[in-house]
Amino acid sequence: LSETLDLGLHLMDHQLLDSEERRCGNVDDLALEGGPGEKLEVVAILSGPGAWRQRAGLVGRVAAWIGGGDVVRIPWAEVAGVAAHVKLRKRAQELGLGRGDDRLRPLIEKIPGADR
Amino acid sequence: MKIFQVALGILAAIGGFVDIGDLVFNVAAGATFGYQLLWVVVIGVIGIIVYSEMCGRVAAVSGKAVFDTVRERVGFKTGLLALIAAQVVNLLTLTAEIGGVAICLQLLSGLPYRWLIVIAGVVLLVVVWVTAFEWIERIFGYGGLCLLVFAVAAVKLHPTWGAVGHGFVPHMETQSPLLYAFFAVGLLGAAMTPYEVYFYSSGGVEEQWGPKDLGLNKVNAMIGYALGGFLSFALMIVGGSLFLEEGIEPEFLGTIAMGAEVPLGQIGLLLALVGILFAVSGAAIDTLFSGAYNLAQFLGWEWGRYRHPRGAPRFTVTWLVLLVLALGVVMTGVDPVQLTEYAVIFSAVALPLTYIPILLVANDRTYMREYTNGRLANTLGLIYLVVILIIALTAIPLMIVTNVGQN
Repeated sequence: LSETLDLGLHLMDHQLLDSEERRCGNVDDLALEGGPGEKLEVVAILSGPGAWRQRAGLVGRVAAWIGGGDVVRIPWAEVAGVAAHVKLRKRAQELGLGRGDDRLRPLIEKIPGADR
Repeated sequence: MKIFQVALGILAAIGGFVDIGDLVFNVAAGATFGYQLLWVVVIGVIGIIVYSEMCGRVAAVSGKAVFDTVRERVGFKTGLLALIAAQVVNLLTLTAEIGGVAICLQLLSGLPYRWLIVIAGVVLLVVVWVTAFEWIERIFGYGGLCLLVFAVAAVKLHPTWGAVGHGFVPHMETQSPLLYAFFAVGLLGAAMTPYEVYFYSSGGVEEQWGPKDLGLNKVNAMIGYALGGFLSFALMIVGGSLFLEEGIEPEFLGTIAMGAEVPLGQIGLLLALVGILFAVSGAAIDTLFSGAYNLAQFLGWEWGRYRHPRGAPRFTVTWLVLLVLALGVVMTGVDPVQLTEYAVIFSAVALPLTYIPILLVANDRTYMREYTNGRLANTLGLIYLVVILIIALTAIPLMIVTNVGQN
């Protein structure tokens, strides 16, 4: 039970940071594996609005719909470490994370002074 | 050099403490109850010091700002409700502050109000776009120091100092205890507005604080806010010794500025208006950023002025949208002072969901290591939690029975 609690308290809903310290989503859900009597194992982190559907009833479904419903699956092997934030081994783009920011960037870049 | 920088930070904190909520509630409380409610301001100021220090420490040690902790501690569902409540209150406050900016500009220039709303919006946009984070805080904090004119005005109005002193002792001499309670809740809500901790904690991350900055955090929160509290006293004393005597209800920002004009003449009026202008402009930027911080933190987006607009596009678009929304609401001609009253009362309701997660994370040894809350921070934190719960539960009923302080 204590391990489950730790996941809930120190992994779920935490900030994901890519290998370059870029904020690129939250731990919105976890994929666990293990049959009856076996040890449960975290095999992946799920991140993105689609994961909210199972988390908050109708409110969650509405929020997921507004957010576009994407879910990105990050295999546990890509996790470099869990401290205050969850650090990943690769860049956000390689993992399919932070796409919302990447899509808007070309627009913002057109405004003078966007890099100061 | 270090001391010089610390002093600059404190000056900015003093000037940045007062916003339109403090202006409206302190002067109105003085005009209604004289100096009787000064003790409530003391309680409010200690409260904001306790929680600012705590969330600044959490930010410095763990890199987490308020809505990171909200999401982690209360989960997605309750966190989402907290986010919606915070964003509504924040937008109300932002709108009131921008309205305040336009009113000050109008009193200073005499140009049409709606033109000045547009000018205010454009100026705020440009300042935020071109200025580095620490300078935004400083420019408006230093300008806000002009509000010290109210301290001079308070002395010049020759209040009965015995009565002022008596105001720091909790007591109630009134036929309308509910109105007294309404103002008490409003003063606490104005002193402990949630956006202050959103902004303070995110600001710690913006300035890339680490454990070595904990001393700076303590000094900024304690001295900056305590001295900022003095401005609140001054405002209430002006309200009590001028407006109460004359039977004036300060319904307009211009009336509040008159509090400095009566004892000090034109120069007093000018300093008061410039001080109010900078204070509410600074608060407008704080609330603008707070709205974007909250959303980005809750959703895990990249955020912060220090990342530059290019590095944090969704964060940037969020504050741009919030600015446009608020300008649109101000354009409808709503009265900023009335809006402020609602914003402060509703923010009192949103307080517990902001402060409880901070208190929990500040006690989490996993991230906070040797910097977890000490006994003093926890004792005060818990006492204030009770205070906050009481004001959250009573704020709206009191607003209704007193007709927003009008009876």
